[in-house]
Amino acid sequence: MNAILQTLVSTVVQGSMLALIAIGMTLVYGTLRVLNMAQGVMVMVGGFAAYTTVVRTGLPTWICLIVAAVVTFLLGVLTYYSAVKPLLGRVGVDFEMTAFITTFAIATIVQSVVLLIYGPRQKPFDPLWPGRIDITSDVSITYHSLIMAAVAIGALVGLGLFLSRSRYGLAITAVAQNLDAARLMGIPARRVYVVTMGIAAALAGIAGVLLAPLYFVYPNAGDLPLLQALIVVIFAGLGSVRGTIYASYIIGFLSAAVAIYWKSAYALPVLYVVILLVLVVRPNGIAGKPQEARL
Amino acid sequence: MNAASGSTTVSTAKSQPASIRSFLGWPKAGPIPLAVTAVVAIALPLVLHSTYWVGVCTLALIWMVLNQSWNLVLGYSGIWNFGQLAIYAIGGYTAALVSLHTGIPWPLTIVVAGVAAMLVSLVLAIPSLRLRGIYVSLLTFGFAEVVRLLVIADSSGVTGGTFGLSGFDGFGISAMAPEARSRTFYWIALLGVAITLLAMYLIVRSPLGTGLMALRDNPALAAARGVSPMKYQLVSFGISGFFAGVAGALYAFTYGVVSPSLMGLGQMTLLVTMLVVGGMGTLSGPLVGTAILTLVQAELQNWPEIRLILLGVILLAIVVLMPRGVVPLLAHRTGRLKSWMAQGNSAQTKSST
Repeated sequence: MNAILQTLVSTVVQGSMLALIAIGMTLVYGTLRVLNMAQGVMVMVGGFAAYTTVVRTGLPTWICLIVAAVVTFLLGVLTYYSAVKPLLGRVGVDFEMTAFITTFAIATIVQSVVLLIYGPRQKPFDPLWPGRIDITSDVSITYHSLIMAAVAIGALVGLGLFLSRSRYGLAITAVAQNLDAARLMGIPARRVYVVTMGIAAALAGIAGVLLAPLYFVYPNAGDLPLLQALIVVIFAGLGSVRGTIYASYIIGFLSAAVAIYWKSAYALPVLYVVILLVLVVRPNGIAGKPQEARL
Repeated sequence: MNAASGSTTVSTAKSQPASIRSFLGWPKAGPIPLAVTAVVAIALPLVLHSTYWVGVCTLALIWMVLNQSWNLVLGYSGIWNFGQLAIYAIGGYTAALVSLHTGIPWPLTIVVAGVAAMLVSLVLAIPSLRLRGIYVSLLTFGFAEVVRLLVIADSSGVTGGTFGLSGFDGFGISAMAPEARSRTFYWIALLGVAITLLAMYLIVRSPLGTGLMALRDNPALAAARGVSPMKYQLVSFGISGFFAGVAGALYAFTYGVVSPSLMGLGQMTLLVTMLVVGGMGTLSGPLVGTAILTLVQAELQNWPEIRLILLGVILLAIVVLMPRGVVPLLAHRTGRLKSWMAQGNSAQTKSST
């Protein structure tokens, strides 16, 4: 009973985190056709931005969430201008492949710059809200994981409203659905690209702050989230927002269950085998469509 | 691009884009540059007096074998396989385990490592066959990371976990003097490069190579013309895996150690940069790229942080500024120079007659 409760709690918390990171990748892929390998680095930079803000200024921790979001948003925009924009509209070169490599290069650069500035040591980061509540005598939830789930779900709902209600959000959806038609309707596609990359990075940055108390802040902090997010987006099918959210919770559940009932080191390999099986049956993931219809 | 074909294509040279012209006919290596390169490569460890630099060159040669094998899948077949490092590491581990637990001679061990890597590569190829473009890279990249994490987490003692395996007597020459030994390592690795290069040359020029490139450039048309995607891609994964495994075995035997640090993001960045700098889908590209970047790496040995930053910047700059890489760019330039010279020649002969 306790183990089941623990698994469920873990599922909600991990699934929300995964959704926050993976949705950025899927949004960027849906609009730009770029698989953003710098997404993991954004998680790490978010953690470092919050850490620096808290240590240097002593501001309350919720402000550092905003700082992290702004910093990663700007970094996302910078990634667009340095790694993606020069490749757009180039003839004779595979765009998806080259963009994969350039974002990968950005990830390497950012990671080594952070390493150069802060050094390789793991830095502790206080929970946003210390303390825990007991559900039963053996199972307890830290307030921090409640906040993690709440902020993540809040951000996802906000994103959903943004995409379906606001002008820019609708523009993003339109570009993702049909680039040519969107352009003909007068949507400035390039500006949509910038905003999308920024938002995707900012979501990862927020996830980075929330994950920081659990996994510490260090230059390689983005590797594991990147891998997990990759697993989620393959499982979901790239470009499908709804599928990504479902997939995040399924993957969150699987990794929590494996970690609790078996061994946490086996969580990723087991997930990988699951992904393999899913891909063999459905080559475009659970929600991906073979053709252009997305979002 | 030799002079004869240059003069025949003069009339069409202006109307055709240069990229098409440079692909007409098979790339031919001139016998003189080839001989000079071979002599320099064989004599290099005799000229270099420091064991350190011979070691650097040996590592470069091992990477050349690996990059050649990767280039077959990534450059010629256009399959986005980013799991090659795991295959390479599996080759290394197999060689280490075989020489730790059995007494079979080292050339056979290297072949065994290659076959083991080939089998794993084929297993990886099966799910990749059904996938398209970016999903293949996700799948293979994930595969490589999972293999790395599994090896790190392994506590059964078979792979040695984080510390890896050591204490095996690779080529059986540990009794040699250090200088002679490092030279022997170099020549064995050079032999590996020569064999790999010859194999790749034969494959690329064979109908198999043509089929692979056809599948890369236009999968639907190639399949309609009777090129089986399944058969060709499995074969290319298999061959590529074999040579990656050989590279891993060479590494294991040369350095006497294999560990999870063979894989990982840093290594992958380095090797991808080598391929991109040299030019994917060319035979000499991986060699040139590896040589350039190994030199850069060795020069920056004392500043590890800056080294990685610089690596990232080089990768970004090359993809943005010359996406085809150095070798195709040079080939394009020499091609233009030659056709320009040939134009002058034909104008002269015309005016004199």
